[in-house]
Amino acid sequence: MGHTGTEGDSDAALVRRVLAGDVEAYAGLVARYRDRLGRFALHRLGNQADAEDAVQEAFVRAYRGLEGCEAPERFGAWLFQILVNRCRTIGGQRARRERVATANEAALLVADMAHPADRQAWGEAIRWALDRLTPEQREAFLLKHVEDLSYEQMAEMTGEGISALKMRVKRACEALRVLLTEVERA
Amino acid sequence: MPEFEDELVRRVAAELKRPAALDPALDARIMAEVRAHARRPRLWLLRPHTFRVTPLGILARAAALAAIVAGATLAVSRLRPGEAVVSTASAPEALTASAVPFVLYAPRARSVALVGDFNNWDTRATPLRRTGASGAWVVTVPLPPGRYRYAFLIDGTRWLADPGAPRAPDDDFGTPNSVLTVGT
Repeated sequence: MGHTGTEGDSDAALVRRVLAGDVEAYAGLVARYRDRLGRFALHRLGNQADAEDAVQEAFVRAYRGLEGCEAPERFGAWLFQILVNRCRTIGGQRARRERVATANEAALLVADMAHPADRQAWGEAIRWALDRLTPEQREAFLLKHVEDLSYEQMAEMTGEGISALKMRVKRACEALRVLLTEVERA
Repeated sequence: MPEFEDELVRRVAAELKRPAALDPALDARIMAEVRAHARRPRLWLLRPHTFRVTPLGILARAAALAAIVAGATLAVSRLRPGEAVVSTASAPEALTASAVPFVLYAPRARSVALVGDFNNWDTRATPLRRTGASGAWVVTVPLPPGRYRYAFLIDGTRWLADPGAPRAPDDDFGTPNSVLTVGT
């Protein structure tokens, strides 16, 4: 691994090493956060290529702007904020591009969700439903219920008002309930 | 119904929290790009000097700039080719606009670039523009209040601290740089 010797270091220590010229220390931060960033980007953007582009761009932008990271001990939150913004940009740029189908919708509707063995179909149903939320609802839902952020943290990260974020999460939950209940009834 | 919704949200969230399958080569791609943008090692950033731009300092530096440019214009014919270098960075608009002019007198230079932490030491980001035949190169950079390290790159090969600023001590490799503090 290129980041040998970084596992025990805090984020702040790694940031200091990078700023001092140890570029390889950045690999430790990449390894530490790539899964979380990748998961959010994948669900937010709906396809893997876009998600990996967003993650890569976020890490590179964070590296280039590392001197602007005012609280190195909060590097993860700062990096995640960059990713959220990259996803907004990429999602906007590619909104009209054909999305990779997450599943055959007809197959989803006949899937028997009561069977645990059909878990893969359940996962696909969720991604199918998630793709039908507005980008704003999807972002808010993921930040609240998957990343487990507080509304205050979400507001700081997105620049949106707390009441608007609460409304988006509420609408997202309502929409998911309708969409997924239909799937389960089928 | 809220209970059902909570349960549904819990099930959805549990599914979405599962690790995403990313390309195993993603880390390598990221690091390759990061290395391409790697910071220049601190070859000439040791113990830099700071000069502060204050309202009085602005006037003094503006006068000095005028004298330098006038003197350089008069002296240009007596300079040995490629030898004389006079420069300055000042912040006359710092109180209002934060547009900071950088001037380097380098009559033999074919190109001059400004590199600093404000442009990630990118040698192509901020080229200076030659002004007429006087040998002066200029560029104006918008800078918010703060402290900046910088130097000039002449002909793409020669690094030079700003002769118009207090000289910073040489580092291990004998290549000093300059520090500018733009006041509010």
